[in-house]
Amino acid sequence: MTVRALAKSSAPDEYGVSSLSMTGLSAPLLVASSLTKSYDGQAVLRGVSLTLSAGERLALMGPSGSGKTTLLNCLGGVDRPDGGTLRLRDKAIETLSPDELAALRRRDIGTIFQFFHLLPTLTAAENVELPLQLNGLPARERTERVKKLIERVGLSHRAEALPSQLSGGEMQRVAIARALIHRPSLLLADEPTGNLDSVSGDNVLNLIQELSEETGTSLVLVTHSAEATRICHRTIHLRDGEIAAEERTA
Amino acid sequence: MTALLLRLFSWRHCRLAPGTSILLVLILALGVAVYFAVRLANRAAVAGFQQFTSLLTTQSDWVITPPAGRLPESVLPELREALRDLAVHIVPVVETTGAPPRQANDGEEEIGVRTTYTLLGLDLIALQNLPVERPVVSMTEAAQFWQGFVDPLAVYIPHALAKAQSLDRGSVFPLIINERIVDLRVAGVLPDGGAGLRIPETLLVMDLPNLQALSGRRGKIDRVEFLIEPGPLAETQRAETRTILEKTSAGRWSTASPNERRESAEIMTRAFRMNLTVLSLLALMVGLYLIFQALDGAVVRRREEIGILRSLGVTARAIRRAWLAEAAVLGLAGGALGALLGWAGAQWAVIAVGRTMNSLYFASSARTASLSGGELTAAIALGVIASVIAGWWPARNAALTPPAQMLRRSGIASTPQHRRHVMAGGLLLALAALLTLVPPLRFADGGRLAVAGFFSGLLAVLGGGLLSAPAVRLVGRSLHAAGRISAPFRLALSHLRRPASRHRMAAAGLLSATAMTAGMGIMVGSFDHTMRGWIERTFVADLYISSDGAQSASSQNRLSPSTWRAILARPETGDANVIQAAPVQVQGKTTLLWAGDLRFLKEHIRMAWLERPENDAVFDAARNAELCLISEAFMDRFGLRQGNSIEVPTPAGMKTLKIAGSFADYGNERGSVMIDRAHFARWFDDEMAGSVVMFVKPGHDPETVRAGLLKDYPGLSIFTNSSLRTEILRIFNQSFAITWALELIGVCVAVIGLGLTLASMLVERRSDISTLRALGMTHNEIARSAALEGAGIALGGVVPGLLLSLGLGWILIRVINKQTFGWTLQFTIPWWQLGIFALIVVCSGTLTGWFTGRRGSKLPADREE
Repeated sequence: MTVRALAKSSAPDEYGVSSLSMTGLSAPLLVASSLTKSYDGQAVLRGVSLTLSAGERLALMGPSGSGKTTLLNCLGGVDRPDGGTLRLRDKAIETLSPDELAALRRRDIGTIFQFFHLLPTLTAAENVELPLQLNGLPARERTERVKKLIERVGLSHRAEALPSQLSGGEMQRVAIARALIHRPSLLLADEPTGNLDSVSGDNVLNLIQELSEETGTSLVLVTHSAEATRICHRTIHLRDGEIAAEERTA
Repeated sequence: MTALLLRLFSWRHCRLAPGTSILLVLILALGVAVYFAVRLANRAAVAGFQQFTSLLTTQSDWVITPPAGRLPESVLPELREALRDLAVHIVPVVETTGAPPRQANDGEEEIGVRTTYTLLGLDLIALQNLPVERPVVSMTEAAQFWQGFVDPLAVYIPHALAKAQSLDRGSVFPLIINERIVDLRVAGVLPDGGAGLRIPETLLVMDLPNLQALSGRRGKIDRVEFLIEPGPLAETQRAETRTILEKTSAGRWSTASPNERRESAEIMTRAFRMNLTVLSLLALMVGLYLIFQALDGAVVRRREEIGILRSLGVTARAIRRAWLAEAAVLGLAGGALGALLGWAGAQWAVIAVGRTMNSLYFASSARTASLSGGELTAAIALGVIASVIAGWWPARNAALTPPAQMLRRSGIASTPQHRRHVMAGGLLLALAALLTLVPPLRFADGGRLAVAGFFSGLLAVLGGGLLSAPAVRLVGRSLHAAGRISAPFRLALSHLRRPASRHRMAAAGLLSATAMTAGMGIMVGSFDHTMRGWIERTFVADLYISSDGAQSASSQNRLSPSTWRAILARPETGDANVIQAAPVQVQGKTTLLWAGDLRFLKEHIRMAWLERPENDAVFDAARNAELCLISEAFMDRFGLRQGNSIEVPTPAGMKTLKIAGSFADYGNERGSVMIDRAHFARWFDDEMAGSVVMFVKPGHDPETVRAGLLKDYPGLSIFTNSSLRTEILRIFNQSFAITWALELIGVCVAVIGLGLTLASMLVERRSDISTLRALGMTHNEIARSAALEGAGIALGGVVPGLLLSLGLGWILIRVINKQTFGWTLQFTIPWWQLGIFALIVVCSGTLTGWFTGRRGSKLPADREE
């Protein structure tokens, strides 16, 4: 199937849902319909629609300025779309107040960034613990979960290190642990390997795949790298704020 | 290149974020304004002490004054004879003071509220012959002129007074002179002098004999002024006149130029003014921290831009120059605005300073402070220099950081080198401690200035500032466990545990302001405690009687012998003490000779003895003619102790007095020599009394006795025991009003600085804030975290600031105050006040943090992934 044919077949149906989004994994977790977003009069998203099932891993690809990060921000509730609807577990995200959005993020969403964005004054363990603290979990449970996950990402010996004392790969492992510690239903990863060498990048991708499979977390992965899409069930290609193509990758 | 960088970068940043630049300029302006206002006010208040005669005539060439008491009129023919070959005018002067009677709406017993007028008694006919262009009291209107001689109550008033109170020839101007209310009659209005010279509103002129009679000084004059006739020989004759005056003096007078006399007024108030000036620098010093912080923050914010410029080939020197130029421009704007604000503030400060000088030193006629071009330039220069000094380090950082490091996007802002700071801080504190051992600078007049003490205080504040970073870290570490409470706690404490240089500067600003304010609080508290004890012991009588015309320290209003004798003879009067005081020159330095019934002291007053008299001789008028007591300030100033002898000049000749004991006294810093009034009256041929202290006989109510006395003598001021104590404490607190205002400004600037710091750090942490928001932190939680961080920085500044204030308070009390004023104060810590003060500062820091955090949490994300 050519990309053009894929693009055609992935046009939204009458419900605004792409036919290719149906992976058959389970019921939709996230449904975005006709999302639009502009900055200073410049359209960045032009009616993007997509559906993500629970446990599904989706890659977003496209050249710089195609709207990948903006779409990810909208999906994560960090940015508000100008138009369209966005539902996460039947909750209309665009209607939520800032505090409700924050509550949604801390409960249901985990985020991994290209530049890690660990808080520089917190140790690795404290960074990982932060989402649990935001969710108000008791200290003992927090400690146990942090210990387990840190061990799982292979950083037990670096738990008390500051981010400035960690390598790029280690930092991204901490970031992954932080994104998954509170067991979110949706994991958003923005170029998680973009700042890493190929070996570290591979390790990080494997870790993301393993953990999302273990926890049943859905993933939206923004990437430039075709290699990174190997861990995803399907890939959406964005161009000039529109879905240009969609393909199944796994 | 510098201009280009300024135009392309600094100016654009300023336009994009005008609020920060405006705030910085305002802070700098505030610092400059406070210093400048005090400087202008000090100058105006000292300038207000003038040779009043020089305002009426031309400036005299020489002035002779007796070392004690007054000159007899008989010296005038003697002087004329001695100077007969010289073209010199001799102007005898009598000078006294008076105050208007109380109005219905005046405070019942407040001192210093009503204006003190200076009355000059001059020979009006001789005045016509003086070498001036236009005599102020003119003979042209002969009828009115002669009224000045015929009418014993005729007075000439200045134009300003006539205008202010709508007075004209023939108007009645009531004034209390000594204990009498006298209805003076306006004989004429004195026009203002030439060249913009304005006669102060408080100067009144009478014919010499009339004022002598009115003030009870018949046959006596206060000083004689000499004016040399202008001409080619004037300089020679001037010198010759001085030689003759000194030769004929034989210890009866001292000769000085008016400038020398003005200098003595400056010297008299030097310590007071110096203290104010040092305090006024606090706001500027805290302001410097803020400029440093702001520019340092700007370097961090713009480091990417600096890195790009460096990689494009802009030299480190050009970068440094551009930053320094930016600091200088800020300083220029802040200095100019500060000069204007300072000038406006000086109008208030001059009244506050003048009021204190009136209460403690001399009558100052200053009402307004003027601004000259030179001072405006000085203020702007101060702003620029301060700003450039504060901008130097950030400019250096901007220039020296390698481009690669500048271009790095993330990481913790530079952390200070704690160990080096702790060592430097400790070293400065040790140096400060050593400086407290250095004796004061001594002036020719015996005045002292605790220069080393001031430097010790300054070093203590700077040293404490350097220790503030570990203090912030300590707060973060000691509260580490609290990080488990919630995410905002964890975040805030993590920032405090690893403080950046910005934390240190904010805490250092707060520490300085806290240490100085609390140190001052300890000093005032100790003063208050000591004063209350002193008042308790000293003011035990029922009634305190003096002239109601006495409204300032320089007041010359007395009670005539007939009046005080009549008071003593009243049936309700119990034991009483008649007190007189006169300035005298001892070893060429002015001090106070206090005379009273020493027996009364022994029987009724618990003196705070430093050296208790060995026997009772000094308290017995029959045996104490050659004995005296001295105050602590006198002891320190003259270096004399019990058993030493002093030579005290009197009109009856030099008297040698043996020091029988010394006592603590807080009346004046020039020191007092206490003798029995029986001898004073004889030696000075003066039976007038400055005040009468009395007990009422059992069965009489002091209030009733007071009312009866006031009915018979409406020109008296009578305090009951409790009202006098209240009044003394009111004057005491009033003299510290300006001090508190200065400290308050310093603390406000420091709290604003904390806000600026947090704002700048939040801008710097925009990326972190975006992360926190992505993790689900609400705006409120981010604001709470900033509030906790603000509270932590405030604690890191306030707690060591309070600890340092104990040392600073000790330096102020035991070094600066003791060395400068010669007063021993009991070290008292006003715990409650300090606690409340600390709470207010920490709460202000928390609130500032919350508001800044709330605003920072809404900043747009700083991400481009």
